Amino acid sequence: MGPWLKALIFPGFLFLMLVFLMVFYVERKILADAHLRTGPYYVGRWGLLQTLADVFKLLQKEFIIQRRANKLLFSLIPFVAFLMVAILVAFIPFSSSSFIVSTSFDLLIALAIVTSMPPIFFYAGWASKSKYSFIGGLRVVNQMISGEIPLWLSALAAAVFYGTLNHIEIVQDSSWLSFIVLLPAFLIFITATLIVTDRPPFDIPEAEQEVVYGFLTEFGGFNYMILVLSKLIELFGLYGLAVTLFLGGFKGPILPGIVWFLLKIFALYMFTFVVRASTPRIRMDQLLKFCWKALTPLALLNLAFIIFIKMIFA
Amino acid sequence: MDSIAQAGFTFVLEEKKEISGEDLGLLQEKLLQLNWGVQHPASGPMRLKVWVDGDEVVKVDPDIGYVLRLLEKLVEYRTWINAIVNVERACFMDNFGTMTGYSIAAEKIAGVEVPKKADYMRTILCEGGRIVSHLVGLGSFVGVLGVHTAMQWALIAREKFLDAFELYSGQRIATASIIPGGVRFEPTGKFIEKMTKAIDFLEKEFFPRYEEVFLDNPTLKLRTKGVGVVPKEKAIELGLAGPPLRASGVTSDIRKDYPYAAYGELDFNVVTREEGDAYARYCVIFEELKESAKIIRQAIEGFPEGEYRTKFPVKVPPGEAYVNVEWARGCFGFHLISDGGTGPYRLKMGAPSFANLWAIPEMMKGIKLADVPVIFASLYMCHGDIDR
Repeated sequence: MGPWLKALIFPGFLFLMLVFLMVFYVERKILADAHLRTGPYYVGRWGLLQTLADVFKLLQKEFIIQRRANKLLFSLIPFVAFLMVAILVAFIPFSSSSFIVSTSFDLLIALAIVTSMPPIFFYAGWASKSKYSFIGGLRVVNQMISGEIPLWLSALAAAVFYGTLNHIEIVQDSSWLSFIVLLPAFLIFITATLIVTDRPPFDIPEAEQEVVYGFLTEFGGFNYMILVLSKLIELFGLYGLAVTLFLGGFKGPILPGIVWFLLKIFALYMFTFVVRASTPRIRMDQLLKFCWKALTPLALLNLAFIIFIKMIFA
Repeated sequence: MDSIAQAGFTFVLEEKKEISGEDLGLLQEKLLQLNWGVQHPASGPMRLKVWVDGDEVVKVDPDIGYVLRLLEKLVEYRTWINAIVNVERACFMDNFGTMTGYSIAAEKIAGVEVPKKADYMRTILCEGGRIVSHLVGLGSFVGVLGVHTAMQWALIAREKFLDAFELYSGQRIATASIIPGGVRFEPTGKFIEKMTKAIDFLEKEFFPRYEEVFLDNPTLKLRTKGVGVVPKEKAIELGLAGPPLRASGVTSDIRKDYPYAAYGELDFNVVTREEGDAYARYCVIFEELKESAKIIRQAIEGFPEGEYRTKFPVKVPPGEAYVNVEWARGCFGFHLISDGGTGPYRLKMGAPSFANLWAIPEMMKGIKLADVPVIFASLYMCHGDIDR
């Protein structure tokens, strides 16, 4: 397959859309199970087509721009956000042959993309010219910046350990030993991922009961769908990164690589859903305290530990 | 507004203000006025005007009146017995408490003695109403923290009680089942059986599961401990009522202090906490559920034989009565006046949620914006009850 077909079909656009419909469906089903409900049931077999129906409903909706809003920025932001996170996914190897691009700076580019997301979401809030969106935008900047430093430090720990930034080389070098050595870095990375992508219990920027829907408040229809999708892809991309760096990527016995990769990602998603069903949201000042006083020092210590291990093996 | 100007803040009313030729919008404003309410995921039909400086709340001003139904006025156009349909709609969560209070007041004026069976039945229904109301209170408290699991679990337990009410009166929520002179329907064995089943479910399935996940929850404690603290003296000064008052360490319960219905003959404790914060209020609501279940079990055990209602006169002699009942959300007062006619001449309901509402401006000074919904939910108010 040529890179164009790859970008459009297999590890690219169509495949990802399918994965997200499924992720959304599974999230609803698992949450419903925790709530002792049934969840999606009527559309399609076992309610499988419910998410697709919701997407089509959103596509039919009117394109509303608030009167005071900055029209250009407001309509452009969702597409910029989508483009940026799509770049993130392009660097993730789903199996030894299915990836869109591979360079010697894979990890660096992926992390740089994640770091450049806060301004996008802040502009989304600011361009809406609504008070709730504005507060949501400010919160997202606050939260993402404090989450990104532990994210970088823990991802760099893996890079230091493997001595390369190329994802495929990292996966090929991984073993049980690397998994154990990088376990602390993995835990820090997952926590930082939840913070950066504002998933519960860190969904402070879009805390429904405080600021309605944060920076997403004024968006509707297609724009809203694209923006939410890009947030989902960001989470998927970061989980893909976590699987690649810490869990051995597509490696695994018997089954093909892509299946192993998706299974590992699914396990991480399960963790996210269970946390969502049982953990209340924490407060902004508590989050900042946690990030700067606990997570960042731990990530630094962990980096020192990895360098120490590297010195022993060298 | 004046007090904000005194505090040294300038509030920008005009949103469009240009600085060096460019409209910076909300970025230039020092104070934002948020309308936390009417159309808001967690407010219900009322509005809190919240002035925030960044993430900090400067001032809160409640704005009520969105569900005003003139219930007290409507009662004047009803007969003594018909009036219960207006009284019970003060808040549909616990309708039995308000009906009981009104009925006792009417019986006091008319000089009617209620049979013992009716008293016991009223007790069972009142406690059932309290359980139903407290379950929703628990669920919505955890709900404002972004977790909807608690609400779903609570609703499942609540459904069993609503089934029992349906079997008894034909209605699930607005049951119109307690009238002056007794209760409206014969309490059948089937109803008692259904109620026992509901309590079994609550005690054997709901309590252990809920306690494990949502009472010992470290994140929940992190969020709610030390938030909206009201010391004992302050609680009395602010005039708090119901679970928030008891959470501040004041042992105040009409059921114990001035027993009505069958409460004088039953054994139960008044749940109190000393801390006076949001978590204490949440715990009080949870512990009261257990006490209510205990009361219903005792009332079913000692359920007497006999008539379930007596004749209530069409015309009641002139007179006046004031009755307090311990409703799910606190002490509910009924001031009822008769002029010798076929219906009440005047009725004034003193609502506990209304009392709790005016503690909000005091409690929400200098907190974070994220604590506004937590304190709001912990005060355990009902909007129907605030406006009436």
